[in-house]
Amino acid sequence: MKKILRFFKKKPIWAILLLLVVIITILAPEFIRRRNLLNILLQSSVNGVMAVGMTYLMINGFFDLSVGTVMGFSAALAVGLQPLGIFPAVIIALLAGAGIGAVNGFLVARAKINAFVVTLGSFIGVRGLIYIYTKEDALIGERMVFSDFGSSSVLGIPTLFIIMLVIAVIAEFVLRKTPHGRNTYAVGGNYEAAENAGIRVNRTVMVNFILCSLAAAVGGVLLASRMNAATPGLGWPDQNLMIIATVVLGGTSLNGGYGSIVHTMGGVLTIGVIQNALNLLNVQSYYNMLLMGIILILVVFADSRFKQARNALRVTDS
Amino acid sequence: MKRILTVLIVLMLAVSGLVFATGDAEATDDGTIVIGHTANNVGIDSYQTTHDQVFRDTVAALEGVSAIQLDAGGDVALQINQVEDLIQKNVDVIVIWPVNGKAIVPAAKKAFDAGIPVLICNSLIDESGYQYVKGFAGPDTYEEGVNAAVGMIEALDGEGNVVELMGMPGYVTAIRRSEGFQDKIADDAPGIEILATEPTDWNREKATRVMENLLTKYQNIDGVYVADDNIGIGALNALKEAGRAGDIVMTSACMFGEGYDAMEEGFIYGSVYQSPAEDAKKAVEVAVKLANGEEVPFWNFFETPVVTKANMDQFERPNF
Repeated sequence: MKKILRFFKKKPIWAILLLLVVIITILAPEFIRRRNLLNILLQSSVNGVMAVGMTYLMINGFFDLSVGTVMGFSAALAVGLQPLGIFPAVIIALLAGAGIGAVNGFLVARAKINAFVVTLGSFIGVRGLIYIYTKEDALIGERMVFSDFGSSSVLGIPTLFIIMLVIAVIAEFVLRKTPHGRNTYAVGGNYEAAENAGIRVNRTVMVNFILCSLAAAVGGVLLASRMNAATPGLGWPDQNLMIIATVVLGGTSLNGGYGSIVHTMGGVLTIGVIQNALNLLNVQSYYNMLLMGIILILVVFADSRFKQARNALRVTDS
Repeated sequence: MKRILTVLIVLMLAVSGLVFATGDAEATDDGTIVIGHTANNVGIDSYQTTHDQVFRDTVAALEGVSAIQLDAGGDVALQINQVEDLIQKNVDVIVIWPVNGKAIVPAAKKAFDAGIPVLICNSLIDESGYQYVKGFAGPDTYEEGVNAAVGMIEALDGEGNVVELMGMPGYVTAIRRSEGFQDKIADDAPGIEILATEPTDWNREKATRVMENLLTKYQNIDGVYVADDNIGIGALNALKEAGRAGDIVMTSACMFGEGYDAMEEGFIYGSVYQSPAEDAKKAVEVAVKLANGEEVPFWNFFETPVVTKANMDQFERPNF
């Protein structure tokens, strides 16, 4: 019991998620039905994949404002290039995402331009690309195979969620067990110390920018497969901020050096549950946004309070 | 790490236990009707805000009917999620005002597969989605174009040169308003020639620029047809600059508040009244029929009457 309490104190997002699930189930019993829970998993898949990439970058000490429009751009490519075949279209969409990440990474790591400015610039610039490519019109896929995939499931679990889960597990493993993962924590924790320790800092930053954009591109492809279409407005204006908020909910530090994919998933599920519940409960969308904002601040507040308490404890211990 | 894993596993077991405990039992039907509605973007303009409010009020006034009203906020992905949630909620009918007519098709199919009737309101779904929906409730945008042509023919006495400023190319409302106008002119007024049809993307500034160019290009314009009053005001600015306002006849396919004022001042000859209140009432009316299992025709239009200076006092100034 104590252990569980300590866990919740350390990671308030899981406590909040559990609390939400209990409250919502009381208010709207259909929430806990199997189909609805699967529904939430499906709806969380796109954000989940994107949040994985963002977690890497934020542990590294940066964030990426361009993920929203990168998602929209790769969705447009995945649908618009279908005449080439679905597989080539998806590959090109992913490469385009990775390419934008490489540009972001180069400008931040090598040219030493502020990441906020760089990714804000590509956020807007990529939106331009979307409009140029789509000519401001919605693109519709010509093959139903693509959307059949998007709505398919394996053993009753939505395929898109399984994809997200696999990506998350691999990402957590890489983060904990490989040199790149350790370097990411080190660079995010203390940039100069990492550099002095001989870590190739620029390369680490560059790779994480690419991973973040690639994850956004995967999210775009998954989203496009749910609609068999792509509209020019996808990801605009605030999906980037929602993804960052999701990662923060999961306890990843905005200053870098701290965080994990498992807890990011807690943030992803929490946002998925809130959105679903407010729809089931017929709450006007303005309250929806208000509530999300409040929860975000609460979590960060709780997190910092517990951190202070932990630090105080550590001081008295020694 | 191990501790975290233990807790996670316990959590997951707990949740899955609940899942299987409740299973998939259908919600009990207590005989009342629940309408699920996902709107395009309620806060974006007063037309949509009024539509949302009247939808609420109309439902509230009906006995045994309630509604779950959601707002997609202009986000197609969110709207798809909302349709899925409404399916989970097992509502009796789903009313969709599509953010995008193409992207909403798979979601409509999901509702169709779940056996829930879908009604599209205000803006059309892509034709590939017709098979999944029970019908459409909203304005007859083709008829609006026809009505604007009637006004134009009347004002020009069937003779003259006209230019057309249409909305967004590829957008179904723009296309149908354009077709309605052109068909009516071709059928009833062979003496009227349409010199040019130019897209304005529903954008007022662009409409001004396009009109300026048209005035330079053609010296003999007698009339301008605009797809709505927003474009109309843009075009009117160009006409005023050129000193031709009131001299060149303008008709519009959809009246806005500013257009109402311009008509009062004599700058717009004829327009079409599309009321968001009537729009919402029609949607609720058809939705209730669908929820009761009644058959309805596919097209359910509400009245969009012609307005000219002669009868404009019968209409309230639009609040959008």
